[in-house]
Parts: sequence; structure tokens; C-alpha cells
Amino acid sequence: MGKNIHMAKTENKSKTQTPEEKREEMQTKISQLGSELVKEVDAGDNLHIDIPVRGSANVLFDEKQKKILLGDKMSKRYLFNVAHARRFMQTMLVASYVKKDLLGNNLTATLRDLYYAKKRTIKGFKEDTIDEQKESDLAIVDLEVAMDSFRERLHLRAEPKGRMAGDLTVLDRVRDKVDSIDLSRMGSGGWAVPSIVEQIEFKDVGIEYVLVAEKNAIFDRLNEDGYWKKNKCLLMTTAGQAARGARRLLQRISTELKIPCYCLTDSDPYGWYIYSTMKYGSMALAHESNRLGCPDLKFLGMSTSDIEHYDLRNVTIKAKEVDIKRAEEMKAYAWFKTKEWQSEIDLFLEKKLKAEIQALSSKSLQYISNTYLPEKIKNQDFLP
Amino acid sequence: MTEVKQPPLPTEEQLSKEFKEYSVAEFFKRNRQMLGYSGKVRSLTTIIHEAISNSLDAAEEAGVLPDIYVEIQELPDGHIKVITEDNGTGVPKKNIGQAFGKLLAGTKFHQMKQKRGQQGIGISYAVLFSQLTTGKNTHVKSGIGDHKVYECDLAIDVKSNSPVIINEKEYSKNYRGIRIEFEFSEVTYNRSEYSVYEYLRRTALANPHCQITLVEPNKEVIVFPRAVKEVPAKPKAVQPHPLGITTSDLIEMAHASTSRKIASFLTSEFSRFSADKVKEIATLIPDVNFDRAPRALTWPEAEKIVNTIQKLKWIAPETDAMIPIGESHIEKSLKNLLQPDELKVIERKPKVFRGGIPFLVEAAIAYGGKAGANIGGQTKAEVLRYANRTPLLFDAGSCATMEAVKNIDWNRYDLKDWENQPISIFINLVSIHVPYTGAGKMAVSPEDEIVQEMRNAIMDCARQVSIYLHAMQKAEEQEQRRQIFFKYIGEVAEALHDITGKPQKDLQDKLRKIAEKRTALMEAMDEEAEKAEVEDLDEEAEKEIQDE
Repeated sequence: MGKNIHMAKTENKSKTQTPEEKREEMQTKISQLGSELVKEVDAGDNLHIDIPVRGSANVLFDEKQKKILLGDKMSKRYLFNVAHARRFMQTMLVASYVKKDLLGNNLTATLRDLYYAKKRTIKGFKEDTIDEQKESDLAIVDLEVAMDSFRERLHLRAEPKGRMAGDLTVLDRVRDKVDSIDLSRMGSGGWAVPSIVEQIEFKDVGIEYVLVAEKNAIFDRLNEDGYWKKNKCLLMTTAGQAARGARRLLQRISTELKIPCYCLTDSDPYGWYIYSTMKYGSMALAHESNRLGCPDLKFLGMSTSDIEHYDLRNVTIKAKEVDIKRAEEMKAYAWFKTKEWQSEIDLFLEKKLKAEIQALSSKSLQYISNTYLPEKIKNQDFLP
Repeated sequence: MTEVKQPPLPTEEQLSKEFKEYSVAEFFKRNRQMLGYSGKVRSLTTIIHEAISNSLDAAEEAGVLPDIYVEIQELPDGHIKVITEDNGTGVPKKNIGQAFGKLLAGTKFHQMKQKRGQQGIGISYAVLFSQLTTGKNTHVKSGIGDHKVYECDLAIDVKSNSPVIINEKEYSKNYRGIRIEFEFSEVTYNRSEYSVYEYLRRTALANPHCQITLVEPNKEVIVFPRAVKEVPAKPKAVQPHPLGITTSDLIEMAHASTSRKIASFLTSEFSRFSADKVKEIATLIPDVNFDRAPRALTWPEAEKIVNTIQKLKWIAPETDAMIPIGESHIEKSLKNLLQPDELKVIERKPKVFRGGIPFLVEAAIAYGGKAGANIGGQTKAEVLRYANRTPLLFDAGSCATMEAVKNIDWNRYDLKDWENQPISIFINLVSIHVPYTGAGKMAVSPEDEIVQEMRNAIMDCARQVSIYLHAMQKAEEQEQRRQIFFKYIGEVAEALHDITGKPQKDLQDKLRKIAEKRTALMEAMDEEAEKAEVEDLDEEAEKEIQDE
């Protein structure tokens, strides 16, 4: 299986390269792609780009590394093919924008910036180069995998999302300016995790574990209760599905600081999915699992058995058809094949009940801070 | 033999009885629907049909290219005035009364040849219908090309079935042809699929040697122009073959015969009817006396003779008496009036039905252009049905042509939705004895052999249309492909220039060349695939034909 795995090489190199070297490397890669295409133009051949196949057909689960990884199936994307032509053109637009406008000027941009920069009406036709941002987003991923690289290296930023609070000081850089940020002094809102976190350094570590809450509301509750101070932890929220910056930073904290990380979501298949993406990576971004996955993340709750254990029966929600279907799908995923998760999913399918974390507020507002979490962590009551 | 299924028609027994009780004119006055006079639109079309059939036959007889003029006027009192005029042989003065004022006495009656009208009732009944609905006389003008013109007003004495002629005048003028003017009520003019307009359009389609001018009540003048300048070969006059005769034919012929005995009537007025055959029949039906005068032949006797004829073996009729329109004339005609995008015409070899009556089928499918019918602003397919070039407008449901059309798996020819496509399906049955389903002569009896031939002919044509549709679809796909390839070249060249610094113009030109090459390459690939597809199609069609 090892030979099927991409990225490992880039991962190792990144530690030693300076930002300038990284930029030059990517520019060279794109230039090489351009030269190959020009060769085809000169030879009168059909232009093509080799792109690893994405999606479930080319996704593997590496049990040892605990990562969802991209396999080695390749496909060719041609310019002169009715089905490929438009996407080929869009991938070329992305490549030229990245090389010339972003890397060339040492600027970063959001996916939406790129979308607007390259969206225009094709000369002589009643068609736009890009209709919806989804199209340019997909072309970006094409270029990422074709370059055997990832978005941040292309100087493209996702929308930042996620906040942190805790006894930890980090160093961040904006160009040549270095800021020292004390995450224990960020007030009620916490520190906003940027979309690119490669430049962050950790200093003055006073935390023993990380608690990642799916929901903003839980972060605010625990921050207000001073939970992180009392329990010496770094409190984090992903505000729903975790953004790349938050995932990358969580991975770095986990591996560089070597402290346990716990995840807290609603008790439903969507919550499990948020957790599994943070832990193993996702099928859609399988090529990034090495950078974004956090294999040591544990699922603290809320579990289906918590509903019984904490007597939350009266504050549950009946599972819908779509929840049942999703649960059945997830039960079949290789990364949910552990004994513990199989029985968790089975229990859900049997009870057909969902619960929000806020259901704990039915006991009392601070029940989560004072009883639920300390008890769960003390008893090491989590799913792998 | 296929039974005649037309509920309003009287039974044969009734027919026989009524024939005895009334004069012929009286009889038809009471049974007008038999002759196509049912419904206001249909009645008017029938009147035109009778006049035009005679005009075309007369022009053929004279060996001239027919020029036919039809004018319909709406009079203030609600009556419809019909004027028809042709450039045919004209009718000699002494025959006018017989031709227009006496039922069952037409000039055509004694000749058996492939022709449009089949009995001598047609135009006389139109005269009678005018008289019955308006009380007015019919005005006739005739010239036979001898520098004399004859005009008169004419009516029919219903009791005696004889003409009443008044206001005769004669004068000198160079004129050849017939002009008829008559008035009707209980008729309506419109442009529906059963209308005079449609009848004339279809007549023009099957008779490309004639030119038809129609003046509508609103004074709009429509010309269906001539497409070919050859007069069709004159059909050879042949005597009827016994196998093609029906009871009513036999009665009509017998009553008009001048022979002394039924036996001599049969041997002298039918082909292949020898004295030995008469004896053979006489022994099989001893109760029929063949020595009696043909005028005395009763319906039951005629029926027995016809039934016995079917049981005997006969020498086949001559086939050289059949005159098809011909593939090239149909092609010219349909191109002339329909300007289709694709056209396939086929003429099948002669075959026989009912064990010995020869016939042949001509068919065509026109696609696109003006083909198809416009019904309520929407293009629909139309089936142009003909027997010996005469349009069959009514009773489509019971017609062999429709049976043939409906039994085709149109899906196989990429024409699943054929009824909503711009398609004209043209079918002409050529035979001396067209087996009509009724006295209105508007549908061909669905004899197995005839339906099969029609079906094969239409399928041949459909195959060609299918190939055309395929080619069109491929061409469209090619064009789309080309568009897609060329559309993105500019963007790709610019991006490649931005990445590599190579001159954009040069990249663009080279990409254009590749695009051109790749499109052509695809075309070649498609052509092969298409060829295979067509071969499969042909194979399947052949199998289907063999299976039956």
C-alpha cells in the first residue's frame, strides 16, 4: 500500500524549505507543465494533463497510518475532447493565475478572488470561462493533485474558520512582521485561526490537551465558564465542518506538542463525519490527508450511549430517513470498521435517536463544564 | 374477400330490393352517403373529386397536359357556387345529357381501364345534388375543338332518371374542354384535411403533369404548378378480369349490357371468360338461368356468380395495363410542391392479390421542407393515400395504407415520434381493380398482399430517411464538437503564454490546426461507427421482412 501514497515526499521537504524556495519550486513545476504542453502544441498532438483520479474509485484507507489516501490511478485530461475541453481550459486559467499573479507577486488569494479574476466572457462566444465558483474550485483541486501539491503552496487561501482559547502563545507572521499572540488573553471571542498556518510557531505551552468542539455555542459556553483555564486545555471550535487551516493547525499541535486531542460533536452521523474528516481526512481531499489528518484525535462525545448514561432520553430528536441512510453508509467505510464504532453505529440504528450537545443544558447550563466533560475525560470515555 | 364494413350502408338484400322499387336516381337520392355526400366539407370535396377525375381522364384521353381551374364562391344567400373548367376532350353535344343528366350512364362505364372514377354516377350525382339542395340547374359549356361551343342548363328528372336540357345555345369559338357551373347548399368551404384545398393539393402531388388553379371564396388564387411536361401513357383499355368483380359491379354491368344472354354478356365483356368457364359455373349453380337477358340479372344471382368465380382457376390478367406515376415523376412532383430536405421514392414490382389481380405500389417519404401537415400551427406527419393517382381523403381508419403505416416499427428508423415530424408519406396503389372498402371509394380494402407491399415500400423509404437523419445528427454533433474545440483555444493560448512566455499568436495558430485535425479525425471515426450502425439497421429490416 505504501507505494500508492502521494505527498509523503513533499511533507518531509517542507520542514527544511524556506518560503522562497517553496515558491520557486511550485513556479518551476507549473513551468514544466507548460513546457510539456508547448511540446505537444509544436508536435501537433492533443494537449493533455495527467491528473490522479479522485473520488471513491481511487481512495484507500491506510490502517497503519490511519489516513484516507489517494491511490495511484491516473487519468488524462485532454483539451481536444468534448467532455474535457472546458475543464482543461479552466485548469489552465488556474495554473497561469497561480504562477503569474500569485507566486510571481508573492501574494495569496482566496478561491473567490481567483474565481472573479478568471471569470469572463470568452471572446466571440456567449459563454463564460467560469460560471460558478464550484467550477474554479474543482479546477484548483485538479491543479493541486496534478502538481502533487496542495492549495497553500499555490498561494490560495480557503475562508478562515475556527477559533481558539487557552494557555498557549503562538508566533504568527504577516510578511516580515512577527506577532506574538497569547491565546489566554483573547477575550470572549477567542483567536481566529488563519487559513494558512504553516508560518505559525508554538511558544510558552501551558496546555495538557486540546478540546475541539464542533459548535461555536459550545466554545462560547466553555470559554465563559473558564473551562480551559480550570482544565489546562486548549479550547477550539471548528464551527461546523473544519476548515483546512483549523485542521492543519490541530494536526501540528497534535504531532509537534504531542498532547491528546478530543473532539466534541452532536450525537448524529453528521457529527461523526466532522470528526472522521478531522481525524482521517476526506475522500474529496484524499490527497491532503497527510497534511490535514489528525490520526490521534479521539471522539469524546456525544455518543449514543451518553443518551442513556446521562438520562437525556427526553431531549433527543428522532432520526430521519436520511440520517439512517447516512449511518448505514458510514458503517461500511473502512475507517469506521473498529469494534467500538461499529457498535456505536449499530446502537444508533437500533435506537434511531439523535442528540445535540446542548441537550446537556437540560440538566443545567454549566452541566457540560462541571460534570459531563470532566467525567468523560477522567474516565477516558471516548471512541477511537 | 374482405367484407365491407360501413354501418350506414344498406345490406345487399335491401340494395337488391330497393333497386327494383325505385329508379336509380331515386335510389341514390335516398342513399347519398354511399356516394360521399355526408358532411358539409366532405360533400363539397366529393363534388370537386367527381369533376376533377373526369377532367384528368379527359385530358389523358386527348393526350394533352391538363390545365384545371376550380373556383369556389360563397353567394350572399349562403349557397356555394362551384366552377370547374378543363382543357380535355370536351363532350359532344349529343352526349351531354347522358354524361351529366343520367345516373349510371357515363362514357366510362363500358371501358375497363385503370382510371380515376370507376362508375358513371359521379358527375351526374353532383348535378342531382345541386338540384336537390338548391333547386337550380347546372350550367355546362363544352367544346370538342371543332370551333363550336355548346352551352346549356341541365337538370335530371328523378322519376325516369333522364336529363332535362334547357337554354341551349351554340356559337363559333375556338374552345376545347368542359366548364361546369353549379350551386349547392349543405356544403362548406375550408382548408381542413378533408377539404377541396387538400384534395387539389394531393391531386397535384400525384399528377405532376397537370396544373391546378384554385380560387377560394376570399378570392385568394392558389396555383399548384406543373412539374413534368410529359403526358402519362394512356392506360390500355382491358376488359375486367372475373376475379376483380364484385356483385354490385356485375349488376351494374349486366344492366347496362347490350348482350342478349347472361352467358354471352360474361364471355364478351370480361377477359379470360370462355364459354367453357360459363358452362363450368352453370353446372355449379344450376338454379341460375344463363340464357336470360342480362338486364334481368338479380342481386342474389349475381352474388352466386361472383362467389362461384372465386372458386375456379383463372388465367391471370394482363399486367401491362397498369400505369404507375413512376419514380422520377413522383420525385419531381414532391420536390416541386414540398421542397423536402430528404426524399426517397420507390416503385415496387407488380404483385397479385385475391389469387390473381395484379397491382403495384409506389411510395415515397418526404422529410422536412414543406412536408407534413400544419395542424393548428404545429407540424404533423401526413399520409397521402392514393388509388390510381386519385387522393383518398376519407375513411383512413379502414384503409390498407394506414394499416401498413401503423404496422411499422418507426422506432427502428429513428422516427419514434414520426406523427409529430415534418413527414409526408406518399402511397399510390396502382391496379385496374382497386378493392375499395365502399361505394364512396375512399379507402383501399386491407388485403394482406397489398398491405404487405405497402409496408415494404414505406420501410424502404424510411430507411433512407433514417440514414439522412443520422447524417444530420452527426453533422450537428460535429459542428458542436468543432465549436467546443475552437471556443477554448484563445483562453488556453493566453494561459500557456502567461506560463511559458511563448508567443500567444503562434500558440493559437498551432492550436487551431490541431483542433481542425482532431475534428476531422473524429468525423472519420464517427463515419465508421455510423456505417456500422446503418448496416445493422439494414440487417434488422431485412430480417423483419423475411420473418413475415
